[in-house]
Amino acid sequence: MKDWHVHVFTSTYAADVTGACSAMFELGGMSILHDPDGCNSTYTTHDEPRWYDSQSLMFCSGLDELTAVLGDDNVLIDDVTQASRDLHPRFIMLCGSSIPHIIAFDYKGVAHLIEQRTGVPVIPVPTNGLDLYTRGVGLALREWIRRFADPSEEKVPGSVNLLGVTPIDFSNRDNVAALRKTFTDAGLTVNGCFAMEDSFDNLAHAYRASVNVCVSSAGLLPAKMMRAKAGTPYVIGLPVGPYMAEQVMQAVRASEKDGRNRNAFGRDTVQQEDILVIGEQVYAQSMADGINHTAFAGENGMHAGALWPDIEEGIDEDGLIARMNHAKIAVCDPLYRNVLRNPDTRLIPLPHEGYSGRIFRKDMPVFASDRFDLEKFLREA
Amino acid sequence: MNEYQLIKDMKYEYNADIGLDYSSPCRGVWNIVHYGTLVPEGHQIYVCPTSCLRGVVLTTAEMGFDAMKKLSTIAVGEDNILDGDMEEEVLHGTEKIIDALPQRPRMVMIFTSCIHHFMAVNYQRVYKILRREYPDIDFIDCYMDPIMRRKKEPMPNLRKQILRVLQPADHLPDHVSFVGNCFPMTKYCDLYQHLVRSGISISDLTTMQNYDEFHEMEKSCINFTFNRKAELAGRDLKLRLGQKWMIMRSSFVYDEIDADMKAASEALGIAAPPQEETRALRAEAEEKAQALRQKLNGTPLSIDYTAIEQPLGFAIYLLEHGFNVESVLIDVITESEDVFRKLQAIRPDLKVYSSLGWNMRQADRHHDGKIVAVGQKSAYFNDTPYFVNLVENAGMYGYRGLSHLLDLIAQAADTPQDLPTLVQHKGWGCSCS
Repeated sequence: MKDWHVHVFTSTYAADVTGACSAMFELGGMSILHDPDGCNSTYTTHDEPRWYDSQSLMFCSGLDELTAVLGDDNVLIDDVTQASRDLHPRFIMLCGSSIPHIIAFDYKGVAHLIEQRTGVPVIPVPTNGLDLYTRGVGLALREWIRRFADPSEEKVPGSVNLLGVTPIDFSNRDNVAALRKTFTDAGLTVNGCFAMEDSFDNLAHAYRASVNVCVSSAGLLPAKMMRAKAGTPYVIGLPVGPYMAEQVMQAVRASEKDGRNRNAFGRDTVQQEDILVIGEQVYAQSMADGINHTAFAGENGMHAGALWPDIEEGIDEDGLIARMNHAKIAVCDPLYRNVLRNPDTRLIPLPHEGYSGRIFRKDMPVFASDRFDLEKFLREA
Repeated sequence: MNEYQLIKDMKYEYNADIGLDYSSPCRGVWNIVHYGTLVPEGHQIYVCPTSCLRGVVLTTAEMGFDAMKKLSTIAVGEDNILDGDMEEEVLHGTEKIIDALPQRPRMVMIFTSCIHHFMAVNYQRVYKILRREYPDIDFIDCYMDPIMRRKKEPMPNLRKQILRVLQPADHLPDHVSFVGNCFPMTKYCDLYQHLVRSGISISDLTTMQNYDEFHEMEKSCINFTFNRKAELAGRDLKLRLGQKWMIMRSSFVYDEIDADMKAASEALGIAAPPQEETRALRAEAEEKAQALRQKLNGTPLSIDYTAIEQPLGFAIYLLEHGFNVESVLIDVITESEDVFRKLQAIRPDLKVYSSLGWNMRQADRHHDGKIVAVGQKSAYFNDTPYFVNLVENAGMYGYRGLSHLLDLIAQAADTPQDLPTLVQHKGWGCSCS
């Protein structure tokens, strides 16, 4: 019986709580994960490559049974207030896991109370521990921009925000520099990179960008909010290799001109692909489209398609096994190797922090660039 | 660092788990997944929201592809919460997993989580059905429920639950079990050496090759525990199966070691270790301690609870032997009040750090001059490459254990190690066979 909940052999994608903390990591705040224990060490161990070498603030509330049953939010409020007085964060982000979700914890109300006590801005991010990391990244970025950026700022022509950039998708940090360079080489200005290798003060000018680029699906929530608030159009796509880079740049220029939102990658229409790209929605689709425009695909008569985790359900294991073993090539995280049954299917490893955590981190290539050689990647892997 | 208290200013009731928790990068301490993999021919199923599953799945994946074959998951979704079908999900998910596995497990450990308590899930009904459907498999209800940690910590609870399949049996006078360890208690364990020499056979989960060996524990006349996390299991077996339970204190007080060894021998009706052997082992430990003291020549030491079951007791031992113990790192005091008061009296200016406190995140980890650490957390918070890398006593007990520990400190003082790589490795010493 088909059931997306059951994973006999496969791993689990990073959760929304991880995404929220990851997105806020470099902005000088203090992230509070309202949770008993465990989610914080999972995040800091498996999903946060910056943890050991930084002093960025992220804590778990240590919620216990009695506090949850009694609904005693004062425990959290008192603790956060005390920690804030000791550590002086620039802002506080409050997110939570499944128990706060089912006891209807009032994120907005508690955030307001903490802010009243401390004088430090508090942004509520109502994660639930059930959903995919992209939702957590998106929620946190959306609330941060809503709180700290000014929608009335004048737009700067030819400037873009890169939305949805976290180590969960781009754990090789060289990807961030390569991504920026791809846009600047195309004559565009990167107004802000949300949120790696940028600063609180710069990102507070988010509304100066004339176009938002969702380089991962995590960027969609803030992009939609900025569209609603200031009319900023958005483009969805990642410049994976020269073809997709050109598509993204063309889409940005067109959207700046006509104010409409665009997908930079082509819509996949085939049911059974020869090359299956598994990963985050935007990079998987961008890479599949890029592959479809390589000589490799043309010469071999192959068509690439993408498979990505649903925000609520992840990837259905039965469907995954069927598609993966039907394909001639699977471009995916190496941890998927344990469901490879067809000896004729070739696995091309593309490590993804959001799936296998830190295990293959050192093997992640710089793929978010116009210079990424997809031909070579496919032929030599 | 200046985020410490002096022991003279502390209360015995000290507990650092009272507010926001900081998670240090030190990951050597075993979690429930590591312990579950010890069960030969066992399979673990975790039923939790994604945020919880992530940690257990990747803990397993980091042990390798073979380890992944011993664990499956059932993700709790919003639909389960709204539809109220948690029981059905556990039942059908488990059926699907068992039927899909290439090899039939002999034991299935089903871990439910915090959310199941709050949704009042009747999982015992599910296990009853599963036991009927798969009579050849032992099903165990296990718990990954840190929200309940004030009543039952997950790790001690698991060590107990795994043994719940054991049934009443005739107890053999020459068969005992070592219960609730993470590591084999062999070469550096006085009790092991003494029992083997006396013709006593020992069951220990950490050395078992197949599931039939596991059930041999039913025949034990005595269960020995060596650490606090195993005591729940020892007590449960005593109540349920009528097996005698003896606590072997991980003590550094010679008379306590001798007393426990003597009591164990009397309970088994065998002779206590010969006095000349005890004297020789004591003398060896004393010699090693003196040699190490001379070698360190006043170099400060820091001890943490993740490495040593009795960190305060070990601090006393070292101080009484002339060492410069500068600090200990503990999150709660688990030793007796007498030990705590004695340490207060011997070294009132001993620095005590917590690893959980929020102030530790931005603590100045620099230490002026060389310091040797015993344990990963002491090493990390003092930022020293000179450290003993082990967790939970690592199979050491008695004089042999003490002598080996002193050897390890001597090695650590000589050889700098790769601190970031070693302490971030999850589950020190755990591998999946």
